[in-house]
Formats: sequence, C-alpha cells, structure tokens
Amino acid sequence: MESKGIGEGGKTLKQMNEESERLLQETGCYAGITKPYLLRDDPVKSELFHSRIMALLISGRETTKMISGSPFVREVAELCLGLYTAEGDNVAQSTGIQIHIRLMGDHIKWMIDKNYEEDVGIEDGDLFITNDPAISNMHPTDVYDVMPIFWEGELVGWVCTVIMEMDIGAVSPSCMPSANVERATDGLRFSCEKIGSKDRLRRDFEYRIENNLDFPDMFLLDRRGAIAANIRVREEIKKLIGEFGLDYYKKATRELIEEERRNQIARIRQRMVPGRYRDVAPLEFYMADKPVSWLAANRDTLRLIPIQMDILPSGKVVLDFEGTGEWGWHSFNVPPRAVWGALSVCLVQTLSYDGRGNLGSVLPFQIKSPPGSLLNPPEPRLLAFSNSWASVLDTFGAWTGMLGTAFYLRGFREETFNYRSGAGWQFYGLDQFGRKRAMIVGGTGAMGPGATGVCDGVDAGGWLATPEVDTGNEEVWELFAPLLNLSRRFDLYAVGYGRFRSGLTLSRMDIIHGTQQLFATGAIGCGTSGIIPNMGMFGGYPGGRQITMLVRYNDLRGLLDRREPLLHEIGNPAEFKSRVPGVVTRFTHMPPPIEAHEGDMFITAAPGTGGLGDPIERDPGLVKSDLDNGLATEEMAKNIYCVAATFDGKSKAWKIDYAATANLRQAKRKERLARGRPMRQWWGKARERLMEKNFDGKLVEMYQNSMKMSQPFTREFREFWDLPEEFSFSEGGKA
Amino acid sequence: MSNISYPKEDIRDLIDGKLPWGRLKYIMSHPKDDDRFDKYIEILQERVPWSERILLPLGEHLYVVQKGQERVVKCDCGHEYGDYRQNWKLGALIYARDDSDKLEEIYPGLHCPDPNLCEVREYYCPGCGSLLKVESVPVGYPVIFDFLPDLDAFYRDWLGRPLPDEKEHKDLTYEVTKKWGQET
Repeated sequence: MESKGIGEGGKTLKQMNEESERLLQETGCYAGITKPYLLRDDPVKSELFHSRIMALLISGRETTKMISGSPFVREVAELCLGLYTAEGDNVAQSTGIQIHIRLMGDHIKWMIDKNYEEDVGIEDGDLFITNDPAISNMHPTDVYDVMPIFWEGELVGWVCTVIMEMDIGAVSPSCMPSANVERATDGLRFSCEKIGSKDRLRRDFEYRIENNLDFPDMFLLDRRGAIAANIRVREEIKKLIGEFGLDYYKKATRELIEEERRNQIARIRQRMVPGRYRDVAPLEFYMADKPVSWLAANRDTLRLIPIQMDILPSGKVVLDFEGTGEWGWHSFNVPPRAVWGALSVCLVQTLSYDGRGNLGSVLPFQIKSPPGSLLNPPEPRLLAFSNSWASVLDTFGAWTGMLGTAFYLRGFREETFNYRSGAGWQFYGLDQFGRKRAMIVGGTGAMGPGATGVCDGVDAGGWLATPEVDTGNEEVWELFAPLLNLSRRFDLYAVGYGRFRSGLTLSRMDIIHGTQQLFATGAIGCGTSGIIPNMGMFGGYPGGRQITMLVRYNDLRGLLDRREPLLHEIGNPAEFKSRVPGVVTRFTHMPPPIEAHEGDMFITAAPGTGGLGDPIERDPGLVKSDLDNGLATEEMAKNIYCVAATFDGKSKAWKIDYAATANLRQAKRKERLARGRPMRQWWGKARERLMEKNFDGKLVEMYQNSMKMSQPFTREFREFWDLPEEFSFSEGGKA
Repeated sequence: MSNISYPKEDIRDLIDGKLPWGRLKYIMSHPKDDDRFDKYIEILQERVPWSERILLPLGEHLYVVQKGQERVVKCDCGHEYGDYRQNWKLGALIYARDDSDKLEEIYPGLHCPDPNLCEVREYYCPGCGSLLKVESVPVGYPVIFDFLPDLDAFYRDWLGRPLPDEKEHKDLTYEVTKKWGQET
C-alpha cells in the first residue's frame, strides 16, 4: 500500500516540488500563479501578514544573538534566518547575511529529492544540520540549521538559520584555510544530517563535535542559538496560521514569491536599460608557497572570469560567464550553486531592498557558469571550497558596477555604486589562555564602496558579503585572539579617485601579545593582488592594490619603555618602509602560513572600490572638505584633482585658489591630449606584443586556459586583435 | 509602477550632486519615479551645445544621439565616435599605464599594481581631453565594450515609443579591428 505523504492533501514533498517546478516551467509564474489575487484583494491584511513574518524572522535572529557566544554572531551578526514553503522555496528572510535565500532552499530540495520523507524521516521537532558545498553553500564554514514546520500533521514549511562558524574543524586555521586543496582539509561536512528530534540535539552529535573541533563550545552554542531561533519562528508561524487560517497561509506565502518575481521584472524595466554589459574579473591564486598535501597544487595560476550581463527586452537577465578559466586544486573554486548566493546578496542591496526579497527576486535571472570552470567545477564532492568568496567577491563586485551602470544611464544615479574585496589575517596556534584554536581578525568588512552617481562612496560603508556591515567592538575581538589592536584608520591613499571618490577603507594594525605559539595566514578576499579590479566608473579610477604586511620592530620593548609612539597608520605608501624602525615584510599576494612572535605587528589595508567621473571635475569644495578632514593630501589635490589649495594656519583650514585650479585643470586636459595615442596606433603595438607572446608566463597560461575552455572566448579574442585562425598561446611565453 | 514624480529642479540637483542629503535620502527611500528618464534626458539635452536628439547617455560626457538616420556616440564637446554599436573606445585617445613609473603616479608605493600583469588604460576624448573611462585589466586583455544598448527594444518595448530606422542589435566593433588588421 502506498504510504501517505506529509505534504498537502497527503502528497509527498517530492510530488509537491515536481508539480511546482512543472507549473513554473509551463506558465513562467511561480507555482503556476498566473493571476495572483489574494494579497491584492486585501492589501492591509497582506501587509499585516508579511510584516508579521518579517518581525518573527528578525526576532528569531535576535534570539540567536542572545544565546551564541561567537563574536561572529554577537558582534558582526554573521547570520540570517529564512522561511520556506514545503517545497523549499524562500518566502522571506531576516536581515543579516542574505546570501543564502536560495542556497538553504537547495538543501531542503536535496532532502526532498533524496526521499528523506521515507528514508530518513521528517517529523515535527526534527533538527537537521547541513553545510555541504557539493549540495549548495558559499563555503563550508556557513552552517545551516534546518527545521520543518508542521500544522496538524502536515508539513507546511521550513525555517532555516545560517551562521558562519569560527571553527569548522578544517586544517589550520580552520575557518577559511588557504593551504587546503582537498575536501578532507575543508573540515566537517554535514549533508543534511538529522542531529536531533523533539527539539533536542542528540548527545552523540555533541560528542562528535566535542571530539572533532578545537573550539566545540562555540559551535554547540551556535547550534543552540540557531535551534532556539528556529523553534521561536516555528511557534510564531503556528500562531500566524491559527490567526490567518492554513489556506490563506499557504496561498499567501506562494503569492509573496510570485509577486516579488513580477516586481523584480518591473524594477528592472523601470530602472535599467536593455542590452549587453561586459566586464572582467581576473583572479590570482598563489599556491606555490603554501604547504599542501596534494603536490600538484603547488603552483601559481591566474584565471579570468569574463562577465556578460544581457538584459533582455522581456526584463529577464542572463548572466553569462563564458570564457571563465578552469577549476584547480586550490580552495578558490566556487561551489556551483554559490553564484546564486552572490547574486542574492547583491540583489538585496541594489534592486530588492524593500524587505520583500525572496526566491522571486532571483527567478528573473539565468546564470550560465561553464561546466568545468572555476565557477562550476566538476565533482564538487572532491574539492575544497574554503576560499570561494575570494573568487566571488570581485566577480560580483564588478557585477554591482554593471547594475550601477544601468541605473546611471536610466537616470537613477543615486543607486549607482560597486564593491570590491579586501584582505585580512587569520591566526592559529595557542591563544592567550594557552588553548589551541583558530582565530580570525574581525572588522575586515569596513570597506570603502564605490562612488555613487550623486555623492562620494560611504567611508567604511560596507561590502558585498553582507548588507549589514558592523566591525564589532575591538575589545571583544581581543578576547578571542592574542592580539592588541593598535589602530583602525582610514588609508587615504587607498581611495578610488573620481568626480565622486570611493569610500575609504579602515586599515588596521594589530600587535601579537601573550601567546606561546602562533601562526598567521591570509584571509578572505585575497583573490586579487597584482591586478587591481576594474572598478572605476565613467572616468573614475579603481582603488589601488591591497596591502598585507608584517612589521617586526628592532626594539619594541625599548620603544614602549621610552614611551615613544608606535606606528598607527600607513601614511604615504611610497615612504612607509623608510618610516619603520624595523623589518617590514610586504606580502605581494595572499600570505602563506608564517610563524608569528610576541610584538609582531600585522597590518591590512584594503583599497577603496572605485571613483566615478573625471577627477579633475571634482567640486573643489569637496576636495577642501577632504583636506580639512584629513581625508586627502595636498599632493592628491594638486596632482589628481588639479585643485590648488593652501593651508591657512590662522583659520586652521584649507583655502582653494579657484583661478589657479582652473589653470591646473586646463593644463591637465592639454597634457592628456598630448600624451594620449590614437587607439589604432596603440592597438597595433599591443597586437605585436601579443603575437610575440611577450608577457609574463602566468598571463600566457591564463589566456591559454580560457581559450581551452571556450570557443566563443577564443573567437572574440582573435577577432578583437585580428589574430590569425591558427594563433594560440600554447607555446608558452616569457617567464 | 508608481505615481511618484519629482520636480525637474530636484533631478537637476541630483545629477549635479547638490541635492541636500535629507531630500536625497527621501528619494532613495521611496519607490522610484516612472518619469525619471524623460526628465533626465530633458536636462541633459538642455546642457549640450549641439542639437541632435539624445537617445541615451553612455556616461558622464558621452551620449548616443540620433544623427539623420544614424545613431552615433557623441561627446558633449561635440566630438563624434561613430556608430553606437562599435565600442566608442576605439575612437578615443588612450594612455596605458603599463610600467611602474606611470602606475605610481596614481598608485604610489605599496598600492602599485604589478606592471607585469596589470595595465591601467585611460581613455580620453580627442575633442576636449576629458577622462571618459579608466580600465584596469590583465595585460593583453581586449578593450572592454562596457555596454551595447538594445536601443530599439528599450524605446519600443519599455518606453512604448519606437525609434525610427530600427537597427540590428549587433556588436560592430570587430569590423573596425578587422579593417585595422587589413591595413597593418
């Protein structure tokens, strides 16, 4: 006898999911809702319904923060909650790291597809945990707690909480290790495991965590926080169903998705311009100096991610990454579904920012990630993914700029901006209490986003990975690592110049103190170094190269005893090394693991994203304001903005000489006209160099690799440079 | 999609970056105004010294304009770059920062990219010397065609007022480089 399903009307979840997907395919509308009516018929009721859902998700998130002990949760709120339909489709999400709208739903759909309903069992009060990037995730350190919601025996939905963990049991430093190249070194992977029932964690799961992590208490407290939040949401949803009725709940949650899909297309048609947008994200993976288990991984590679966005007349959008380089033995590959996560978190900051972002926000989008590429590696089950963010950040940072371009051209200049990645440090070894564990420096999210079309980018204003950036309290971070924070200062030189400049990023300096043994390595966002991302808009410059440095003072103790000042800012980056009474080690790419000693000073300075517009058209008043606030130098004013300014000691403010400024600007235009070469002339020379393959060998291999991966890329590359059919990079270049 | 509309003065101040923050915040926090594009184009048209109709801005200085039966890219200074379906950069002046000295003028010391890998290309208008675009790419990467608008679909399907003399939505850039190659 066929068993009765736990879904609507005795259907299995699999039947429900297949039917919903079939209806979407057939009608183009979510769940086949071609005529949404329920929410429109009584907008007041529907607003009450939606705001109740939002409130309970956000309060669930606050619940987690009360229980968790991790600074990731308590200080920088690296968590998010989502409500899902029975089929695993996102209805609403809390504030927080809104990357996971679709990704958490992918896990529910995976369970449905694997017939958990019969083979594993799904019952009221069950607790599931999952983080497997082979199913769907951004990186394994994001852990999802999943809970079904039942109403009178029928599964009516799911609630999921995502938390970024400080320790996932990976090879050191365990959160986002850069030296890992295989799955096993990525840490614990949970593939939708049932870890409890009747709202209680199983004790054997706790033993597993206690025996397999350096920092199990933190992990288990996070679980308790997430489970408490999920229970709270589940119970509140039951109250909601009691008040609004089950039929209304099921119909309204599905209409919320379909209405958002329609609204998204309407927003695209209202705010953008159809056509083809292009950019490129070149990424650098330096593995030759990393200690790896898989020896073939010991090589440095560059990979291209060409980005094409086609906004179609229908309002649908195709993101095509044709020409993307091949996957590799490193941790920078991107789990195939992770690009949807990046898309989601970009959308809630650009188009779907009214609190109604859900699955419907991404339904108008199609993503084409070439099979076998960095963005769609084969057999993800075998690979490490701890640093996939590094690849995604600059790719989707550039994509926000493409959206920004569309907004600008349509007249919505206030919505234009872009993002780029930054650098950070991770540590491992013994903390100040003598315990072995992983540590990461917080606060790397205080980035300088790109300029908008109407004002400068916001200083320390945010970054792509989360719309709710908070660097947290330094005093709390100091409890979690043997570090003394010396400074968080704006690095003036890391700006992206323009008529409107990028926001400035907070650089930071930390001194090691109180540990017997410690090691350091680079952290998230170190996917670019030698090639700065293409983030300047309409004449603005991209910010410069990111900085990661180690300073060892010759006589730190002497400096402290004499109460002489330590360095607190980088200042002019051309003179930094000469200002340091000690040895400066500057890392030209993501730092390999190094041994840290008492008194070592670790520095990161991430650049601002990009400016917008010609810098010599910047309002001199804005230049004066930056000078007065210590956010620009006289040299920048003169050489970049062509503004003549002098400091008036009496008023302690800068004065602009407008006549001299006009002359400087006129002279700059003449200088450009004199030094600029006609494109055809430059093209001919550049083509000659190309034909001779007179490049760094890493570039030659990079182009060769993209050509191997893609015929369209090869064809367009040859066509642009008018290269013969037989041209290839296969014979190698200048090393 | 919305009944919201703002005075032309607001849009003008917004373009100039002079809208007071309170007003800007108000605009950012509300649903978007459906008539923005028309007011935007009207303001831009009033500011250029020539009479061809602006169909679409392409940046701070460039526009796609209707010139007879053709649609060309034109700078506000009057310099023309040819058919909008060719990458306008091929008609610009270029200054490639391809060594340390040139790069360090913008990115001093520690912030300087690796000149062996990275090239920062500046595109200037031959008519007025405006810096139109800065492009940071790996050495050897083709010049990026940032945006090829589907103008006919935009005016016909989105704005509901089709343009005359429909053009094929097609990238014509390679016709230019092919010609350059033949002449080399």
